[in-house]
Amino acid sequence: MKDEMRKKIEERAAVLEVIKKDLITRLNLPYEPEDLHEDVSLLGSGLGLDSLDALEVILGIEHSFGVKIADDNIAVLRSINSIADHVLETRAAEEVSS
Amino acid sequence: MRTSPIRDLLAARGARFEERAGVEVPLVFSTFEEEYAAVREGVGLSDLSFCFRYEVPEEGLDLLEQYAAGPVANIRFGRVLHTLAADDEGMIEADLYVANDDETLLLIGEGLVPDASTAATLDGLGAADAGLKDISGSTALFALDGFNAWAVAKDLFGADVLGLPYLSIETYELDGVELKLIRGGKTSEFGYQLLVPAESAATIWERLEQAGAAHGLKPVGLEAHEALRLDGRFFNVHAEGAKVRDPLPLGLQWMIDIDGDDFRGKEAILARREAGLLKKIIGVAPVDADGPLAAGDAITHDGETVAEVVTASFSPTLGHRIGLALFDVAYAYAGLELEGADGKGIRTVSLPPFIPKSLTIKLDEM
Repeated sequence: MKDEMRKKIEERAAVLEVIKKDLITRLNLPYEPEDLHEDVSLLGSGLGLDSLDALEVILGIEHSFGVKIADDNIAVLRSINSIADHVLETRAAEEVSS
Repeated sequence: MRTSPIRDLLAARGARFEERAGVEVPLVFSTFEEEYAAVREGVGLSDLSFCFRYEVPEEGLDLLEQYAAGPVANIRFGRVLHTLAADDEGMIEADLYVANDDETLLLIGEGLVPDASTAATLDGLGAADAGLKDISGSTALFALDGFNAWAVAKDLFGADVLGLPYLSIETYELDGVELKLIRGGKTSEFGYQLLVPAESAATIWERLEQAGAAHGLKPVGLEAHEALRLDGRFFNVHAEGAKVRDPLPLGLQWMIDIDGDDFRGKEAILARREAGLLKKIIGVAPVDADGPLAAGDAITHDGETVAEVVTASFSPTLGHRIGLALFDVAYAYAGLELEGADGKGIRTVSLPPFIPKSLTIKLDEM
């Protein structure tokens, strides 16, 4: 595996691990992190989280990564992967601006 | 071969059929593009009667717990569980809805095995003693899916239908015919499934066509449904399900009651879970919008094969092809650029890739 690819994977894997552990702890889900596929739907089908759960998820993301999610940005809460995309994109934007 | 109770009517609407596991399915009525657009912009009316259906009395709960992988005993009244059935090796046999409808449960399944095989499995678990009734021939199952599906449902059943939560079941009457309505679907847009008596099925289908005419309703076949499922990352038992079979690499752990009672195939699934995943399904798309992507394509990195595409189709919403590939776990991450067929770029993507229109409308706008 090329170094650039390895670095990209390691950065994403670290973010995913934090998100999964936070979801399991905050929502008392009966899973291990390896059981949660990154594309599993958080709302509706899939994990079936409700609006209160969604609020917990948003708080968790803010606490773990210092990244805010706007109230009207439901797209971020589609899946674990979409949350990771948001965190990584926000970090990249902050690096560019700093 | 089992056919729909309204096969002649579907044929008159232009349906072209295909056989899957001994059951005939309507594949397409007009064109893929037209039917896909009907769901995204208007309403699609589909005949899902190819799914097998059983009525299960309370006495059959134990049997269902052994057959279905999900927590069937925990389904609250009026709610529906989305789960799966596995064989003795823990490989997927069917994608299931189990609905708690007062004193009975409804089992609706989309199977990879013939009806006779499902019946034999259920018989082996004690279906006769438990009073299970196969209603696949005596009922029809229709679906209204689309951005405007809520409007058709509201016109037919009243405004309270808008308050039904996702994955719930309710009884309604339409023109004197009692039917079961399930709020659910696999298109990302509003979805309602209607279980109707076979003898009234043609009349109800025509009534739905009539009610939907003002909302852009068109008959929609399974080909468009399969593309819509992929767009929304809904599990498709006929595509990635049939190719991979193992629910763990498919990411279907959420359908399985890991800590609950035993079910068929659980031991094998838990053994593979304990051993750890070697492969995992990840979304893929071509780097160039017109780039190739087809089932069976190898995906490589630095000359090494790291994945195989298991399903792919064109997404009109995205304007390019999209698919699922089975990756070595070391590469099973979104956000990577790899090489696909003919050395063309392939990127791994987060799915679902967009927000459907139905999620943008608010209840007070309906």
